[in-house]
Amino acid sequence: MSRHQYIRNLDYGDAVDEYEGYSEEENDELSPEDRALMNQGTADVQAALGVEISKVTVAQIEEALWHYYYDVDKSVAYLISKFVNPRPKATKPAVQPPNGKSVTCAIDTSTAGLPLELGIPSHWAAKYLDLTDTGLPALQTNSPNSAAWRQSIGHQSNTRALSISTPVSFEHGTWISHFFQDMPWGNIPKHRETTFIAPPKRRGGLLGGSGMPPKMSKLQALAAARKKKAEEKKAIDEKAEQTRMQVEDLSMEHTPAGKENVLMAGPSNKRLKTSESIAQSTMPLLGSQPTQPEISHQSGVMTKVPGEGPLLGQGLFGGRPGSSTPDAPGDGRKAIMAEPSAFAQLLCWNPPTSRTSNGSESDPLYGFGCGYGADNKGNPPTKPLDPTDWFDVRKRKRDDSGDFDEEVILYPNLPQSVRDTFAQPSPDDVVLAAQAKAKSMKAGPKTAAAQPKKKGTASTDAVTASVDGLRISDAPLPKSRNLDVLSELEKSKPKKSASFVVVGHVDAGKSTMMGRLLLDLKVVDQRTIDKLQKEAKTEGKGSFGLAWVLDQRPEERSRGITMDIATRRFETEHTAFTILDAPGHAEYIYNMIAGASQADFAILVIDASIDAFESGLKGQTREHSLLIRSMGVSRIIVAINKLDTVAWSQERFSEIKDQMSGFLSTANFQHKNMAFVPVSGLNGDNLVHRSRDPAASWYTGPTLVEELENSEPSARALTKPLRMTVFEVYRTMQSPVTVSGRIEAGSVQMGDALLVQPSGQKAYVKSILANEAPVDWAVAGQNVVLHLSHIDPIHVRDGDIICDPAKPVPKADTFKMKALAFDILMPMPVEVHRGRLNQAGKIETISALLDKASGSVVKKNPKIVKPAMVARIVVKLESQVPLEPGQRVVLRSGGQTVAAGLLE
Amino acid sequence: MADRRRINGPAGATIPPVFDDVSTPKLKSPKTRSRPPNTTRKMYLKTGVTPSASGSAYLEIETSATPGVSGLKLSCSVHGPRSLPRSAPFSPHIVLSTHVKYAPFATKQRRGYLRDPSERDLGIHLEAALRGAIIADRWPKSGVDIIISIVEGDQDRETSLLQGDEVWDMMNALGGCITVAAAALADAGIDCVDTVAGGVAALVQDAGEDSIPTVVVDPIPSEHEKILAACCIAYLPTRDEVTNLWFRGDLPTSDIDLYTSLVEKGIQASKNANRVLVGCLAETIE
Repeated sequence: MSRHQYIRNLDYGDAVDEYEGYSEEENDELSPEDRALMNQGTADVQAALGVEISKVTVAQIEEALWHYYYDVDKSVAYLISKFVNPRPKATKPAVQPPNGKSVTCAIDTSTAGLPLELGIPSHWAAKYLDLTDTGLPALQTNSPNSAAWRQSIGHQSNTRALSISTPVSFEHGTWISHFFQDMPWGNIPKHRETTFIAPPKRRGGLLGGSGMPPKMSKLQALAAARKKKAEEKKAIDEKAEQTRMQVEDLSMEHTPAGKENVLMAGPSNKRLKTSESIAQSTMPLLGSQPTQPEISHQSGVMTKVPGEGPLLGQGLFGGRPGSSTPDAPGDGRKAIMAEPSAFAQLLCWNPPTSRTSNGSESDPLYGFGCGYGADNKGNPPTKPLDPTDWFDVRKRKRDDSGDFDEEVILYPNLPQSVRDTFAQPSPDDVVLAAQAKAKSMKAGPKTAAAQPKKKGTASTDAVTASVDGLRISDAPLPKSRNLDVLSELEKSKPKKSASFVVVGHVDAGKSTMMGRLLLDLKVVDQRTIDKLQKEAKTEGKGSFGLAWVLDQRPEERSRGITMDIATRRFETEHTAFTILDAPGHAEYIYNMIAGASQADFAILVIDASIDAFESGLKGQTREHSLLIRSMGVSRIIVAINKLDTVAWSQERFSEIKDQMSGFLSTANFQHKNMAFVPVSGLNGDNLVHRSRDPAASWYTGPTLVEELENSEPSARALTKPLRMTVFEVYRTMQSPVTVSGRIEAGSVQMGDALLVQPSGQKAYVKSILANEAPVDWAVAGQNVVLHLSHIDPIHVRDGDIICDPAKPVPKADTFKMKALAFDILMPMPVEVHRGRLNQAGKIETISALLDKASGSVVKKNPKIVKPAMVARIVVKLESQVPLEPGQRVVLRSGGQTVAAGLLE
Repeated sequence: MADRRRINGPAGATIPPVFDDVSTPKLKSPKTRSRPPNTTRKMYLKTGVTPSASGSAYLEIETSATPGVSGLKLSCSVHGPRSLPRSAPFSPHIVLSTHVKYAPFATKQRRGYLRDPSERDLGIHLEAALRGAIIADRWPKSGVDIIISIVEGDQDRETSLLQGDEVWDMMNALGGCITVAAAALADAGIDCVDTVAGGVAALVQDAGEDSIPTVVVDPIPSEHEKILAACCIAYLPTRDEVTNLWFRGDLPTSDIDLYTSLVEKGIQASKNANRVLVGCLAETIE
């Protein structure tokens, strides 16, 4: 059935009749259930009123209960306000249901006279009524109860007409004052003062979330709202309770002072919700009750129902078998609640509220959790922990003796074994301490080593070298025979040894001439030559067979040129010679320089054929002669080759001789150190044997070999410290580090200690080969092979200098030199050649122009150096190289030799 | 091609050094129970430890006095109530999902990162215990996730792995889980009929095979020679209802009342836990 139809079918007449019928009934017509509720309610109210019960009669209670539909709270509040603690300005109780129907608590005259009995002037009441009549809002400021109060006002206003029998007077002056009667005007009573509550502190604990509250779903919000509501309600209840207590105190102070509408929200746990019974409205009216105070002891005085506190088990199920009855809630909880462990404290970040333990070993808290923050003796901490205790557990204080003060260390409350473990310095500490100690030890010898350096007894390199030399090796040192090399040399009276470099323009026939020389001297046999010539023929280079004696590399053979220095040795009757066959190509000049640096004298080969000499003079003939001179070669033998092609023409020979001697003298060769020999390298004329060609009979001078033998090698620097330029490094069976080269100065013998520069590594001479035969010693001027030991091959490279460790070659990247310019010199990048070594660098400054002859300064700081001028320049290299004053250096730039000179 | 991008470990095995530890004192064993038989261990409970969760709680049950024995540390977070995903079928009640996980380091035997069957089992027991307490029909179409991490698993580190049955430890853990979950639920503001708390009681034989078994509450397995039976009970004190009962073990047939007394002891332990729980909640409200 729809709602509409329900309304339509409603029998109004019945409803009204029913209502009227009830209105005429008397109060005793309570149904049994209502009667039970009434009795229960009465008992509750009496219990709630406690000692004040004497002021209220049972009838009044029942009336109030009926009126409030068995709501005990409201009834109690009403009764208290009405009878127990009436305010002085209370009015007559006049009760009627709000709808003004016949359910009324009509108050008889005796009730009306109550104020008088209580000693209140009746005009008070009248005035009060008057005020309510004027519609003024409530003057009452007892805010918690204002609603209840207003309700009572409503009752009064409704019943005003029928109940008032006292005269009403209007006294405006007093009511104004009454209007402000409740204003404290500065003397604010304590209970009205606001208590400011500090905003809640942000809790610590786990990281997580933002500062914002977590995002909530609708449901969560609802749950939170409920939670909040419950909390608020609790707060209100508490406040009401508080107020009630205050009021009770007040009422004790001035009990009979009068009536006032002070209503309390009485707290009670046993609140009855009887909305169903209200709907039925079957309750009979409560009759008017006598208002005299009547003390009722019907159900006995019940103690106050506990208003708060969790319901704990013991009351409700204490009687069960087997369950031990716990103590009172507070004590029992304390007994089973533990203090938070350090972990928990860290988690919650709230310092423990109380720390009751006294720190004895028997304390049950001892050993609980990790117990961080406990002191060293294993006692739990006696003060609340602050977070720094957990993170800075090892606060140590160093006392004067340098030991750690044990008492200050805050060790966690761990088992003794663990604490013992951490009592000593940790392994890391030990290691660090040892390292620190070692560092300070190291500092000691260093200063000691620095001492001799200051004295100047040895250079830094010497110290470094000697320190490096302290390496311990398993291999035994080569035994030195401690020979006096110089006396040995005198005793042995060896053949003169000399080396010469063969230079000249490209295709002047240098290699072929040397091949022929070797063949004629029987150093190479005919069969080898035949074989080489046959090979050359198959490659279409028939005339190159002799050259291939020296040019052994495939590339050299295929291109028909010499690329690197080729060394061969041969002996004549008096002298052992070493041939250094230099390449003629401009691009291999550095090899030629390397060769020239090892030579005592030079053979300049000149192609005598038409135009070849002229082109040669512009080309490498000129450059080579300048270079060999600047490399310190003073003796030069000019072999005018290929004269057979010009039918041994004497004119051609003398023409070339004139031109060359003129040129060579300008290049600082002395005339006595020049020799000119007409030769034919291919045929071997005038090399070893005189030419059998009749056309060459005009030449009666010495042959080339004779000229060589005539050449006195330059004086050997035998007594100077050892210097040997490494020409080549390779592996042999004897030693992984085998070096070949020419001893430039000094001497070396087996077992000698050597120093390799620039690596600064020490090495020992295992054995020496000179002229492919093992020897015990070697002296300056010899080309030798040294087998080294106690050195790694990476430390020895071509161009290094092997020297005496006692007097090593200094390393430098900047040097000053006296340079003869072949080209225009200015500050520019150059290649620096010194023997086998070549290194990129640049001319930094040109400090002076010098006079060629005297060497005196002509001009200071010139911008450029013109060709054929001598200048003092400073060259900076990219890396350190061994350099010594007196060494000869060639500077090249852009494929051209630009300068050569002497280190200063 | 050799793997040169990574730093590979040595190919061969190495033997860890064994040090002669002189300083470690021999711990006395076997241990005996230090508490009276009907006394539970103290516990510490705190709600609201996880800021990002709707509700959270942390429970800690203290160790015994002997060093080396760990306690129980549980952290519980409750997420929800939140609406179920759209894909989920309609549910007129709140959907409770419980998730119990041991931290990898919580027990002597290291735990994996995935839940193993014993952890799932704990979750099912917990769900049964809580379902009886939550007023589920207040939150239709919604779900709540209860996640418990067991930070420390209440195991004696001195005893060997093989000694003892892990299930007794699990019972203790479950008791704690129930209590801490109830606290977290209350913190989250989810309606419950009562605060549910867990308690454990056990029948132990301390003096040899033939001795008379005794009933103790809150047993620590390492403190007893043999545990014959144990039960974990989730109990609602104001309603006097048991929401979950997990019983395990063999009872001697001689005494018929033994089962009842064991359950009663369990209820007693649970009541003790509940007092802590109520106290903690009251403290939170303050």
